[in-house]
Amino acid sequence: MNQVNESRPVPKKGTFVDTAPFWEGIERGELVLQYCKDTDRFQHYPRPVSIYTGSRNLGWKAVSGNGVVYSRTVLRIPGPGITARLPLVVATIDLDEGARLLGNVLDASPEEVQIGCRVELAWDELDGGQRYPAFRLVRD
Amino acid sequence: MGNKEMVIAGYSETPVISKSGRSAYDFAGEALAQLLERTGIEKDAIDGMSVTTPLSETSNAFFPVYMAEALGLTTTWLNYGGIGGCSVTGGVSRAMSAIRDGHCEIAVVMSADAPSTRWGANYGAYRAEFQEAVGVQSPPSIFGLLMSRYEHQYGLKSEALAKIAVTQRNHAMMNENALAKFRKPLTEEDYLQSRLIADPLRMLDSVMFCDGANAFLVMTRERADALGIKKYVYPTAYAELTNVNGTDPMADITETGFSKIAPKIWKQSGLSPSDISMVQPYDDFTIAVLMMFEDFGFCKRGEGSDFILDTDLSHTGTLPLNTGGGQISAGQPGLAGGGLNLVEAVRQLFGEGDARQVNNPKNALVTGIGVIPFARNWGTSTAMILEV
Repeated sequence: MNQVNESRPVPKKGTFVDTAPFWEGIERGELVLQYCKDTDRFQHYPRPVSIYTGSRNLGWKAVSGNGVVYSRTVLRIPGPGITARLPLVVATIDLDEGARLLGNVLDASPEEVQIGCRVELAWDELDGGQRYPAFRLVRD
Repeated sequence: MGNKEMVIAGYSETPVISKSGRSAYDFAGEALAQLLERTGIEKDAIDGMSVTTPLSETSNAFFPVYMAEALGLTTTWLNYGGIGGCSVTGGVSRAMSAIRDGHCEIAVVMSADAPSTRWGANYGAYRAEFQEAVGVQSPPSIFGLLMSRYEHQYGLKSEALAKIAVTQRNHAMMNENALAKFRKPLTEEDYLQSRLIADPLRMLDSVMFCDGANAFLVMTRERADALGIKKYVYPTAYAELTNVNGTDPMADITETGFSKIAPKIWKQSGLSPSDISMVQPYDDFTIAVLMMFEDFGFCKRGEGSDFILDTDLSHTGTLPLNTGGGQISAGQPGLAGGGLNLVEAVRQLFGEGDARQVNNPKNALVTGIGVIPFARNWGTSTAMILEV
């Protein structure tokens, strides 16, 4: 499961807005997200302005990566970079800090990943050993 | 009573074809020629146009101007509709505004796309870094997440979604413009056995990209009467919303833009759900139809499954649904798809539904859905009420 035996290209970084802090955080083993400094609220994906105020007073900070599965689906038909990973669990994760991410839940069967399950940060791998944030179930 | 100053005074529609090998321009030409023939309007009487952004030609930033030139239209008002499946209803509304402001007198709302022949779109933005890296590449993934959350909060009956698919398929079988391969019967069992794509979303919950075009003529009622046009309908209500709950990152994703715009269209038209003769809702996925029933007040939130199971949605029923088969069973001509539902509403109100004609309809509710954003509900919602 989750074996990478087909290309998972590393996306071009920072073509939309400057995402360097996100990728630098990954190098340190941290999940770093953008937030609005005026309201102290996170926003993900990162934006060119604060979606709360419209200002560019934005910063980045690390989050725990702890959260809960808000919704989940299981991709079952082939597509670029996912064919070898099917069935692929995709979830929306509500982080404890108040941000919602799209992520894969690793090392779990589709049946195990249910709405409400607690998750923690895990690391997936793209081409060339590039780490990319993902999640795994918190198993008691 | 809604405002009856403006009319849709004609419609046209090409057959929906898969991998036609033809361009959006060529389909638009077919739609225009058919529109002129149906209405008897001279081409040069058209002085305004709204063009829907197509998936197949989005690499051309000047597409609407190329379209005007291709069609031989000289316009004093040209609009480019970039709200996806809402561009058609939105285009009609914008055309009405332009006519009221004196920018043009007779506008064509032209939607043509051929994404099954040529894919010209690249959404760019955040997608590569934060969405595609996760494996989310296509609308079914995001709609799978939406359905899954809806099911968790309210419960979702497969038989209800099957009923939407089967009802619309029965209607498509009476629609000469429907995609040929879909013009065969479908059973509830076929639906329940159809392949899961993005749990709990199935193949038969989904549309298929095809090629095709549709067009509408918008003008004042006064002008239509002066031109001797006998059939027209009144768009008496329109409302639109983009980026619902856009500043709440933890929003309830089962909350649609429909729920926000529904009060507006009921107020504008003076109608209520029980007054509606038929619904022709945007149907990229069956769940969107179910949520439409709830959010426009045909039933309460979370009661969509039971409402569908308890209501006769056939063309002879109490609330006919997508009587041409909708996009799910007639095929989705790319971003011209929003026009498929609107064409069927106008056709029915003109009494041209043939074998699937609804008995003496007084009005129709038509909706639009545009864009599937990042892990959220859909991007743009539109609703229009047409009355005779």
